[in-house]
Amino acid sequence: MKNYASSEKLAIIKEAFPDITYDEAERQPAVFVSGESLKALLTFLRDDNGMMYGRLENVTSVDWKTHFEMVYNLFSWEKYEAITVKVKLNHDKPVVPSVTSVFPGVEFEEREVFDLMGIEFTDHPDLRRILLAEDFEGHPLRKDYKQIMPPRVRHLVKGE
Amino acid sequence: MLKTETYTLNMGPQHPSTHGVLRVELELDGESIVKVKPIIGYLHRGIEKLLESRTYIQCVPYTDRLDYVSSMNNNFGFCHAVEELAQIEVPRRAEYIRVMMAELNRIASHLVFMGTLSIDLGASTGHLYAFRDREDVLDLFDLVCGARMTFHYIRIGGVIHDLPAGFIEKAKAFIDKLPERMAEYDELLTGNEIFVRRLKGRSVMTKEMVLSHNMTGPNVRASGIPFDIRRVDGYSIYPELEFKVVTGREGDNWDRYRVRFEEILESAKIVRQCIEGLPEGPIMAKLPAVFKPPKGEIYSRTEGTRGELGFYIVSDGTPKPYRVHIRRPSFVNMQGLNDMCAGYYIGDSVAAFSTIDPLMGEVDC
Repeated sequence: MKNYASSEKLAIIKEAFPDITYDEAERQPAVFVSGESLKALLTFLRDDNGMMYGRLENVTSVDWKTHFEMVYNLFSWEKYEAITVKVKLNHDKPVVPSVTSVFPGVEFEEREVFDLMGIEFTDHPDLRRILLAEDFEGHPLRKDYKQIMPPRVRHLVKGE
Repeated sequence: MLKTETYTLNMGPQHPSTHGVLRVELELDGESIVKVKPIIGYLHRGIEKLLESRTYIQCVPYTDRLDYVSSMNNNFGFCHAVEELAQIEVPRRAEYIRVMMAELNRIASHLVFMGTLSIDLGASTGHLYAFRDREDVLDLFDLVCGARMTFHYIRIGGVIHDLPAGFIEKAKAFIDKLPERMAEYDELLTGNEIFVRRLKGRSVMTKEMVLSHNMTGPNVRASGIPFDIRRVDGYSIYPELEFKVVTGREGDNWDRYRVRFEEILESAKIVRQCIEGLPEGPIMAKLPAVFKPPKGEIYSRTEGTRGELGFYIVSDGTPKPYRVHIRRPSFVNMQGLNDMCAGYYIGDSVAAFSTIDPLMGEVDC
């Protein structure tokens, strides 16, 4: 992708949502927002005539060991511009509102994040594990995840 | 008092028409479908986690195993993302070879689609014909990299080998022969009344539906939205090439079939232009012995055969990526399955699975 939201545009967003933060020194500064105003911000980005970010292309999460980060990559086809929205989450009990009411096409991706990273989504229509079995324990994409090996394999690995 | 109730039918995970290990829970009212729930994860290998403990160079072969019938496009997508992150300039000859390979692979992948679609609808001859032509493409790949699947040919910074002697002639011969072969399919499938009636007017997806499910690729173009990242982003050398973004009108199964059919011919045009314009020069950019991209993150997307293939990579400045997320088009497209099947008969659901063209290696990652 070539274009990223300009600093003027980021200033307009900042005016509408005073609680957002971004690092102006970065080449493509991500917009950090709190979980409470996430839905309002995404609705604004989607519907405002100056923004028109009609596609939420990618939803994912990163485990930074001290905190989690939800990442939303938006793209405006009309303006040919991209923007990244991020939400910082507490590491002990990560909860974030689901954005399926704004962008219904992220249902599976949020379920994937819930499954592999263990981030809870409120108001999600169908929050279940998607790739792993229902009785699977733990969330493999977390950095502190320890794989429980079956006994035979454990024996082979340790060389006992 | 008379009353009806719905019942549940399981299709898969080993059903022949689900293209791999996909289980679908159909909620049925008589023979018509009320609701469809795809249940996935049977092929989950944890590739995203595996990539975190490998260097960037070692990551590339893993992308082969995502969408295993179009590995070149996956290699391309990942390498493109890493190059964008590390700002590597790829030599022009390498770009031409990459685009040529990606488009040949798109032809092969769409041929697999046509083959499996026809066998799902009971026309097994179409299957054999499509696989015969795909074989020609695989022979070409065999020449350049020695493998028929999981190529690992496109590397970070370029491609690993130059084109071998005789490749250009063979590729040209294949491209010359292709329109004739496609006319054969036209006769065999497009004009077949059973085939037409199984597809036309079934599983109609309107523009609003495909957009709300975030679908991409031929599935969204069949509904009349010309969203093709090759054109929208114009990455690599695509802006210099002439090709048409094929779109459908109705968004039914028939359009999804026709869009892929026409895309094969468009891809052939691109390959021809690449052969004609192929410049001389190096095929690999200079990379340091220990490749470390700078600290940062990137979301980079390319047009895979099934839609928008995105890689979100977070680098912490070490030789290994801190986090890689793969936005797999098949996985996101699966959300549309319910809307494609609800209201139609069980027999139509088979055609719907087929025209959405999911690949389980990519869905489950």
